Amino acid sequence: MKVDHSQPLEYSTEQNRLNILGFWIFLGAEIALFATLFASYFLLRNGTGSGPSDGEVFVIDTLMIQTFLLLTSSFTIGLGVHAMRLGRKTATINFFIVTLLLGLGFVGVEIYEFTQYIDEGLTLQTSGFSSALFTLLGTHGAHVTFGLFWGSFIIYQLITRGLTPETANKSFIFSLYWHFLDVVWIFIFSFVYLKGMI
Amino acid sequence: MEFFDRFAVPNPTFTIYASMVAIGLTMLAILVGITYFKKWGYLWREWLTTVDHKRIGIMYLISALLMLFRGGVDALMMRAQTAIPDNTFLNAQEYNEVFTTHGVVMILFMAMAFVMALMNFVTPLQIGARDVAFPRLNALSFWLYFMGAMLFNISFVIGGSPDSGWTSYFPLAGNEFSPSVGTNYYMLSIQIAGLGTLITGINFIVTILKMRAPGMTLMKMPMFTWSALITNLIIVFAFPVLTVALAMGTMDRLFGTHFFSIDNGGMDMLWANFFWVWGHPEVYILILPAFGIYSEIIPTFARRNLYGYKSMVISIVAISALSFLVWVHHFFTMGQGALVNSIFSISTMAIAVPTGVKIFNWLLTLWKGKIEFTTAMLYSVGFIPIFTIGGVTGVMLAMASADYQYHNTMFLVAHFHLVIIPGVVFAMIAGLFYWWPKMFGFMLNEKLGKASFWAIAVGVCLAFFPMFISGLDGQARRMYTYSESTGFGIWNMISFIGASMLAIGFILIVYNIYYSTRYASRDISSDPWNARSLEWATHSPVPDYNFAITPEVQSLEAFWDAKKKGHKLFKGNYKEIHMPNNSGVPFIMCCFFFLLGFALVFSMWVVAIIAAIGIFSCMAHRSLEQDHGHHISVEEITKTEEKLGGAKK
Amino acid sequence: MRELFPAKQVMGYFFSLLLTVIALAVYFVDMSYQVAMTILLVTAFVQAGVQLVVFMHAGESKDKWSIYTTVYYGVFIALVTIFGSLLTLIWGY
Ligand code: HEM
Ligand SMILES: [Cu+2]
Repeated sequence: MKVDHSQPLEYSTEQNRLNILGFWIFLGAEIALFATLFASYFLLRNGTGSGPSDGEVFVIDTLMIQTFLLLTSSFTIGLGVHAMRLGRKTATINFFIVTLLLGLGFVGVEIYEFTQYIDEGLTLQTSGFSSALFTLLGTHGAHVTFGLFWGSFIIYQLITRGLTPETANKSFIFSLYWHFLDVVWIFIFSFVYLKGMI
Repeated sequence: MEFFDRFAVPNPTFTIYASMVAIGLTMLAILVGITYFKKWGYLWREWLTTVDHKRIGIMYLISALLMLFRGGVDALMMRAQTAIPDNTFLNAQEYNEVFTTHGVVMILFMAMAFVMALMNFVTPLQIGARDVAFPRLNALSFWLYFMGAMLFNISFVIGGSPDSGWTSYFPLAGNEFSPSVGTNYYMLSIQIAGLGTLITGINFIVTILKMRAPGMTLMKMPMFTWSALITNLIIVFAFPVLTVALAMGTMDRLFGTHFFSIDNGGMDMLWANFFWVWGHPEVYILILPAFGIYSEIIPTFARRNLYGYKSMVISIVAISALSFLVWVHHFFTMGQGALVNSIFSISTMAIAVPTGVKIFNWLLTLWKGKIEFTTAMLYSVGFIPIFTIGGVTGVMLAMASADYQYHNTMFLVAHFHLVIIPGVVFAMIAGLFYWWPKMFGFMLNEKLGKASFWAIAVGVCLAFFPMFISGLDGQARRMYTYSESTGFGIWNMISFIGASMLAIGFILIVYNIYYSTRYASRDISSDPWNARSLEWATHSPVPDYNFAITPEVQSLEAFWDAKKKGHKLFKGNYKEIHMPNNSGVPFIMCCFFFLLGFALVFSMWVVAIIAAIGIFSCMAHRSLEQDHGHHISVEEITKTEEKLGGAKK
Repeated sequence: MRELFPAKQVMGYFFSLLLTVIALAVYFVDMSYQVAMTILLVTAFVQAGVQLVVFMHAGESKDKWSIYTTVYYGVFIALVTIFGSLLTLIWGY
């Protein structure tokens, strides 16, 4: 394995560079995936059947908390990558842990929100609208949850193996994933929630 | 007993029981055979765990041929049923199942696999790479595809086949009208295979963008590689749409959601919409690699360089964007307004333009060429007129108002078969004959090959041209029978004869493979066709590491210019080569995927959860493992090169 | 400690919070639907851009051309899928 020391660790081998580009292309596919979910949401939004509509169930408080948690986690993981480039292993790990905790908080609030919806009579099976809503939010939430596990594996490897070209590469790719989920959330925040509440 | 009742086929017939027995016996024979010849270790080490793009390509090839057989039998049954009016060979339900599985198998499990086979085998060689960017993921792709295909194929003996068409429109595909588990199979098996395809897409884009031999700029890339790049780009952006649509369909069927239902705010045509948002790009995913293959074969046997390379590149790039802008032409008759239909009508006609440009380029390549009619060339030249007829009728269908007449008649069936068969199937066969010596180190028999061409070319015309007429006369597609007074009888009889000729052609190809494996000379050069691109610059069969020394490219037709202008491709000495290790994890993971799919088909939640845990464990294993591959030493390279007939210059 | 908090990223963070607050205005302040949608469109896309460039380092490697192409192509397909579907199934139905 040839290591190129003029580059940050995560770019330092050829395989690492392939991995990063590959992940970007995967994110391209994810854009198409979420776009389809958004499309189905927009199309089914008025298909509420006999169930409640979006304006009736959305709540601004949980929305603001979720958005704040996720935006902040996106910031902290950015700091994590920055610390990694400075070679500060402990700081990197700490930033990653904070990120995952914020993510955990986000998922917690989301689950709470879902139980609220169910209490108000909006379940997955209620209407076209509810199916599309839960699927869009659920897919995003499932991505975050998957990220919690994935991130924990990476933190474990950072602790046991230290900052190597491999672990740095994995951490960087994970950070791309995490930022991407934040971007998706911004669109959910704007065009599902806020648009539904005005 | 109640537990087992669910696995029963809802509409059993004698043929299905016979197939069950046949499948059971074949499986048993294979297992016994492998055990008897002590091949389990060989199978595991050399194939099930391989990450070598060449072997993966060959496995795709074998699977594609198997699926061609399955889909072909379906086709013959349909043509036999409709050959005469009021026939009772198949009943309506059986006919529904057969046309559904025929469509799915042919497009998703045969044509796609064939495309993957050649892309896997050829692309890394053409760009002078040692393997793909992510060899392990490549194995995963194959096994996902394979397990998806197997899951789909067991449906007709366990639980019943899907029966709502390869397009599986809702509400027909919903629980109310399709109560059997067949459509669950459809949703889940395509989901699994589609995941594999998506991964391939990512893998090959990175491979082509980042692993080209030094000197091979984008505009010095062989045409097949270009088409592979664009194909995979379309895959990456089209397949997620299918993923979502299938997931929503699955949820409607298993969890009672209301995406595509008619009540409670669902929208039935949403399925059709998403299906075709993926579906139209999908037909270009199939056709572009085929175009790439023709662009390799025609210059080789016309002994001229490809006419209009740049315009070829521009056309496929244009196609990649346009193919996403036309999907509504598949449901002009839904009831949307004239504005929408006009927009999609025009964009559909526009896509015929870059396709036409390519046709003219091939014709101009042939013009004044010293054409040598090998089997591969025959198929390539035969493709042009037949495909043009298919394409021109496509433009007829693209006129929205006229499509009200053509839609869902045999005219449409004639159109798409006359683009897909010369487009995709001819190309795959041509590619098979062309690259076969590179894959296996001997050539397929030319005489048998040419015979197969004539059988197939005449067969396809006989089978599908009559459908234009019966379709215009009003014969609807997917009808299991018709009365004598309609007058469709004669056209359908001709079709049946054509279909039988096609079958003979395919049998000839299979026989050719058998015959050539036994009798063909193993003493051939590594460049038997006097070809132009890099894959011919290494040995046949290709060593594990592809090229002992990474080639250096100076021109578009690198190998041709090495032969004619004396460019030196391989400079320097052997160096240690780094290669990826084999791994059994992709295979094991995909067994879990199979189990997951099967469990979901029958709503067996506990099994599904166990399978999902299995999948996640494999991912966790991958995350934690440290695998740096292995190195092939200089001595070993020298030895291998000697054995294959000396170093390449 | 300071070196762990680069100005660019801290600024990026505050900027994204600011954009969020602006977007929230559509809920808290009375305005017409058109104005609200315009605000949301602008804040969402700017916000996405901030993430892409500041946090995801999209432009830092030699593959930047491929990366941006992928992203633009993805956005193109996303818009086509969303607006094309809306056009066929709702607006133009
Ligand atoms: C020359 C450009 C082409 C045009 C203008 C065109 C146009 C069309 C139109 C308008 C339809 C829908 C007709 C209807 O349902 O009433 C259609 C169906 C179809 N086309 Fe094409 N097409 C073209 C090329 C191709 C190619 C190259 C392929 C495949 C490799 C293809 C495969 C299909 C398939 C599979 C269907 C029908 C699927 C179904 O309903 O089951 N077409 N085409
Ligand atoms: Cu189409």
